[in-house]
Amino acid sequence: MQNKKVVAIVLGVMCFALTAGICIQIRTVQATNSSVSNNYEENNLRAEVLRYKERYDNKVEDLANAEEELEKERESATKNDTALKEKEEDILEGNKIIGLTEVTGPGVIVTLSDSKKDASSSLDPSSLLVHDTDVLSVINELKNAGAEAISINDQRIIPTTGIICGGNIIDINGEKVGAPFEIKAIGLPEQLAALDRPGGYLELLRSYSVEANLEKSNNITIPKYTGTITYEYAKAIED
Amino acid sequence: MKKMKKGKITMIITAGIACFVLVLVMTMQFKIVNEADITSIENMRKSELSTELANWKTRYDEVNNQYEETVDMIEEYKNNSESNEETNNLMDSELEQINMSLGKTDVEGQGIIITINETDNEEIEDITADDLLVIVNALKLAGAEAISINDQRIINMSDIVYIDAAKVIRVNGERILAPYTIKAIGDSSYLESSLIGNGGAVDEMRKKEQDVTIEKENNVTIYKYNGDIETKYME
Repeated sequence: MQNKKVVAIVLGVMCFALTAGICIQIRTVQATNSSVSNNYEENNLRAEVLRYKERYDNKVEDLANAEEELEKERESATKNDTALKEKEEDILEGNKIIGLTEVTGPGVIVTLSDSKKDASSSLDPSSLLVHDTDVLSVINELKNAGAEAISINDQRIIPTTGIICGGNIIDINGEKVGAPFEIKAIGLPEQLAALDRPGGYLELLRSYSVEANLEKSNNITIPKYTGTITYEYAKAIED
Repeated sequence: MKKMKKGKITMIITAGIACFVLVLVMTMQFKIVNEADITSIENMRKSELSTELANWKTRYDEVNNQYEETVDMIEEYKNNSESNEETNNLMDSELEQINMSLGKTDVEGQGIIITINETDNEEIEDITADDLLVIVNALKLAGAEAISINDQRIINMSDIVYIDAAKVIRVNGERILAPYTIKAIGDSSYLESSLIGNGGAVDEMRKKEQDVTIEKENNVTIYKYNGDIETKYME
């Protein structure tokens, strides 16, 4: 009888602990994650966003196919004329540089991630995070070291790409990407690796306790920019 | 005695099942928390979703326009494949757009001109390469279509760095000296407000009492990049 009482008490305590655990969990989920909320309007909006995203993705695919066809048409239209052939080369080369075609080559991969240190251990917790200005500076340094093509989490940097930070998400080309940031650059690997020299920018970032890594590679693929480049205000001046 | 044992077993089994179910629920909960991706639209609120929707609509329209233009271009190439002259014209129009993006043509249009003066006052911080970098980034975000600093055109591979040894800022490898003039083509009101709005790049500089002026212009001329743009490593 005594034994039974002990067992019952132990079980009671266990169940209580588990239930308490679950309650805490559910509360955390409700506080941080609105997916639990069943707001009708929000769900409608969400569905609408997904629909447009899908339409966009489909169009991007159509566009890629059309561009391939255009390249073929251009090629066949220029096959009999060397002057035209040269112009075709210029178009292909230009598209590569401004980011409208996928490119491969040797280079480096820089990875930036938020510090794993406990935020309360630092006087300034914000210094443990990767900021848009950090990413901007790394990109600038890579360009300085002769990078020919750069991407951040597979978002290609084109001439008009700006980088903005909102909370712990960075917005690049209108796409939202979160840490860790993987920055790929094509160029002479030895020269690009100068970022990791003693006193270089990566060391500076590490001194703020951001995790920064650089890896050389002989074969890096940088995807093309999937958006469009249009000019609404700028007009070419004929010379 | 036997009866008591039976009761005990039933109790243990019931307790076991209860514990199992509880642990299962807990694991599921943990998983949900872990999977919550901050960039996912599942976790956005109403205002964020509205912005996101507008964003995707614009992007869809842009890509759709581009698609239609490309299809038209294919047609033109097909229809004119017999004439080298027509093909040449088509290629020139394609190249014009590409050269604008490359920075190989002079361009003009509505925009703003930012002038930054260094002051003699020792208490005011000097202008750094980072200040210029942040302004250029802000201009790009505000939709600037062409940018130059002291007539150095900002192209895809442009860098803005401070050379310690020479105590000078270099853009495209060329030294530039104060006063710095940054020209940008785009929606002039939007470009200006994105810089001077609270927390904007120029707003932050003015808080440090640095001397920055912005002028909106109906016609800004930005010169082409003078160097050669060549690539050696990418294919």
